[in-house]
Amino acid sequence: MTLTRRNVLKVGAAAAALPLLGGKAFAQAEPLKVGFMLIGTVNDNGWNFGHAQGAKFMKEALGDAVAEPTIVENVPEGPDCERVLRELAQSGHKLIFATSFGYGDYVIKVAEQFPDVKFEHATGYQRSDNVATYNARFHEGRAVCGTIAGHLSKTGKAGYIGSFPIPEVVLGINSFVLAARKVNPAFEITPVYISTWNDPAKEADAARAMIDQGIDIIAQHTDGPAALQVAEERGIVGGFGQGADMVAFAPKAQLTSIIDNWGPTYVESAEAVIAGTWASADRWPGLKEGEVQIGPYNASIPADVVAAAEAVKAGQIDGSFNIFTGPINDHTGAERVAAGVTLTDGELLSMDWYVEGVNPPA
Amino acid sequence: MQFRLEKRREPSKLMTYLTPVAAVVLTMVVGAVIFSAIGYDGIGAVREIFLTPLTNSFKWQDLGVKAAPLIIIGVGLSIAYRANVWNIGAEGQYVMGGLAATGVALATYTMTGWWILPLMFVAGMLGGAAYAAIPALLKTRLNVNEILTSLMLTYASVQLIYYLVRAPWKDPMGMGFPQTRRFAADALLPNIIPTTIVHAGVPIAIIVALIAWFVMSRSVFGYQMKVVGAAPHAARYGGFSENKTIWLAMLVSGGLAGMAGMLEVAGPFQRMVPGFPTNYGFTAIIVAFLGRLNPLGVIFAGIVMAITFVGGEVAQTTIGLSSSATGVFQAMMLFFLLAGDILIRYRIKRVVPVVEARA
Amino acid sequence: MTPELLVAIIVTVVGASTPILIAALGELIVEKSGVLNLGVEGMMLVGAITAFVIVFVTGNHYLAILLAAAAGVATSLIFGFLTLSLSANQTATGLALTIFGTGFSALAGQGYSARPVTLLGPLFPAEIATHPMWRVLFGYSALVYFALIMVVAVWFFLKRTRAGLILRAVGENDLSAHSIGYSVIGVRYLAVMFGGAMAGIAGACFPLLLTPQWAERMTAGRGWIAVALVVFASWKPFRLLAGAYLFGLVVTMELYAKAGGGPLSAIPSELWAALPYLATVVVLVLISIRRDASTNAPACLGKPFLPAN
Repeated sequence: MTLTRRNVLKVGAAAAALPLLGGKAFAQAEPLKVGFMLIGTVNDNGWNFGHAQGAKFMKEALGDAVAEPTIVENVPEGPDCERVLRELAQSGHKLIFATSFGYGDYVIKVAEQFPDVKFEHATGYQRSDNVATYNARFHEGRAVCGTIAGHLSKTGKAGYIGSFPIPEVVLGINSFVLAARKVNPAFEITPVYISTWNDPAKEADAARAMIDQGIDIIAQHTDGPAALQVAEERGIVGGFGQGADMVAFAPKAQLTSIIDNWGPTYVESAEAVIAGTWASADRWPGLKEGEVQIGPYNASIPADVVAAAEAVKAGQIDGSFNIFTGPINDHTGAERVAAGVTLTDGELLSMDWYVEGVNPPA
Repeated sequence: MQFRLEKRREPSKLMTYLTPVAAVVLTMVVGAVIFSAIGYDGIGAVREIFLTPLTNSFKWQDLGVKAAPLIIIGVGLSIAYRANVWNIGAEGQYVMGGLAATGVALATYTMTGWWILPLMFVAGMLGGAAYAAIPALLKTRLNVNEILTSLMLTYASVQLIYYLVRAPWKDPMGMGFPQTRRFAADALLPNIIPTTIVHAGVPIAIIVALIAWFVMSRSVFGYQMKVVGAAPHAARYGGFSENKTIWLAMLVSGGLAGMAGMLEVAGPFQRMVPGFPTNYGFTAIIVAFLGRLNPLGVIFAGIVMAITFVGGEVAQTTIGLSSSATGVFQAMMLFFLLAGDILIRYRIKRVVPVVEARA
Repeated sequence: MTPELLVAIIVTVVGASTPILIAALGELIVEKSGVLNLGVEGMMLVGAITAFVIVFVTGNHYLAILLAAAAGVATSLIFGFLTLSLSANQTATGLALTIFGTGFSALAGQGYSARPVTLLGPLFPAEIATHPMWRVLFGYSALVYFALIMVVAVWFFLKRTRAGLILRAVGENDLSAHSIGYSVIGVRYLAVMFGGAMAGIAGACFPLLLTPQWAERMTAGRGWIAVALVVFASWKPFRLLAGAYLFGLVVTMELYAKAGGGPLSAIPSELWAALPYLATVVVLVLISIRRDASTNAPACLGKPFLPAN
């Protein structure tokens, strides 16, 4: 289509008529282009893999209404991502998902230049008219895992491999140990931060170091199955899949897994853009919405433990149970949250203290 | 039919300019063939990686912004390498320059004034130069290999960022995430072309390269660098101190890397984050060689590297070529380029087989 | 500290040190011939993906190691051709080789990341290694013993064989080695290929010895450590052994200290992470003060062989 005056008028008229026609008619004429920007590779078995799966789910669910999703991998947090965002916006993508925290500043910046493009930033907190944020309540899944750990651990000690001490990781650790201590009040957890998201050999060595010092349950907040494989090799009580079902890597040791299920969220967003009803918001769905899922339980787990885990899951789904309801003590034993008080989302998202039962790392 | 390499009396000027172009063209042809053969859209890949960034005017600003730090660091390294000083720790010096500038920006957070940016600029250069001074000191005093020390210090500098943004410099309003505050307005690099992302670092990069070219080709300093690099013994007789040259080479290359760090943190980044080290320091090593260790060549080389980065992203968005494929393209181009070097010093001669008469 | 924990720590240290030691032994020979190949990281990654794919397809760990070595050789020949036949700059070629290895391995590994394999088991029957004391000696896979044997082999080769003498001569003074009739380029080709084979095997250690999976860039910078270790060890095989195990000890102790609590765990993790690199610098300085690094460094290191013809 050449850009003559007549064409411009036609496009203008079509745009004006659009709200009357409704989204579907327009969508069939022009499939929505959706872009995804990832910090790593889709082959990481973890975080980025989850988002790629979500993109696939969206395409399958919406069919011809959306174009084949565009996935840009290995985009560093920094000016490079600004360029990719602009590239996506300029090449006709009307909905762009930026899936790492460090993209935030640049999403806001680029969104100003492309007011007709909708941006969604995972794990971030900065919003504007065309920038929404979204995340998943992974800590709800951690509470289910913690419950299982509390029941099954013989030594009462778990290890937790973290990448960097950011709030999301701290939140997961706290949720895990709070749940475990509801079962076994003496339960302890030792987090080890390895200062990298992707060094499987170091993850494996961290797991070995913890197992050698008496932990028999392992959890991790890094991408990949390395720690679980060590758990399998050493034959400890077990560990948990993170981001995806990792049972193939550890058929005996994976007790259950927390699965990132971004697909429904992506479908919802794409539909809203197609229908013209998209609005900036902060979404933080969890187990209830199915964005966080608990994978199959290992057959070795006794039925009463599965029932206890299912009860914690159900309680979080129907809202009768919240792991961050007081009384909660911090790691020194001082009361941090009074009985009956529940931490707000804001407090959760900026959590930088450890609950009782965590041996705080330096 | 056989070929033989014959040494030229003098390095070929023509080949110096021709081989980089030939290398890029060869990469495009061979890349298209290989990637088609293994089931990718080879021609599309070549088009998107090498041509789209040039033909799409929206991309020019990106090329400038991406090339600027590569050129600044590459110019410094080309000077050092000319002097046979193997600073491969420019990444660490870039980081330290960025950290020094960040220190100034945070210390002056509540202040305003035109002087803040120049102060950051100086701090950045000093930071980079100071970090390069460690390998220089160890090399001149104890004869410790500078390749190793500068490389090791790079890894240490990255950990220093992690520590600073996690603990003492953490943004109090950042929801606990490891990053510093966004710099105040007077600590941010201005955009020089409205409605684009082109910041002051882009013209600075060109100016740096031009000054370096002038100094290297017209001044005693440049002569000293080249003589010491090419013929250290002769240089000693000529009264040029090798140690002084090492110091100068390290401080200049480190200072320029630090300058690039300052320009990046005050320009595109606007705050210090763990993702600040983006391999500019390592990529600039390649840029320096690609540019034949000539500051003007480095401008060309910086732009070529920027094209492959920007084009690699275009190829991912338009034809879904994975980022690892871009890496293979880049490596292939470098291989061809390095292979082409030989034609500068040698010519290919056809050897006519001589049938030896047996007695 | 119980004996069991001590044994466990030693076993982990040995695992962490082995790939670095193997790669560094290869690079040592390369550097002794006067060539600096900074592409170790890239060759390791090619070895790692090759080993993974072979063990995934055939289940044969030893075949995987063999072919990883072959893939390392093939990759090193790119470097060899450019730097030796075409006398291209070694520093730049090595860096380009790492870019190539990183990209190529990721490309070849697409689709292999969600697949598990099995580790290479211990070499000796489990009955021998039941007691912790015996486990320290007999509890490892063949790769660990291979690394240790190669330390002795490399030392013996350099010190006691004629071929080793020629290799050193080529690295010390290529022009005179050439003038007495040795093929400088030929010797260096063999050295570079040996370095490639060792780097390939070192890469194979990742899926076969440390973590039985494929992940992009899974060597995570250890190839660079190997390059550093060669200098750290001032080109001496037994010092290399000590250096590699010292490095393994530092990185492993960080994890054990953090996991176990106690006074060492109070050190910020960033300092732990920076420690091996800072330690290398310190050791470089110490060696230089004793003045034997300068005498032991191959005189032609990194310089192309350009005979006046």
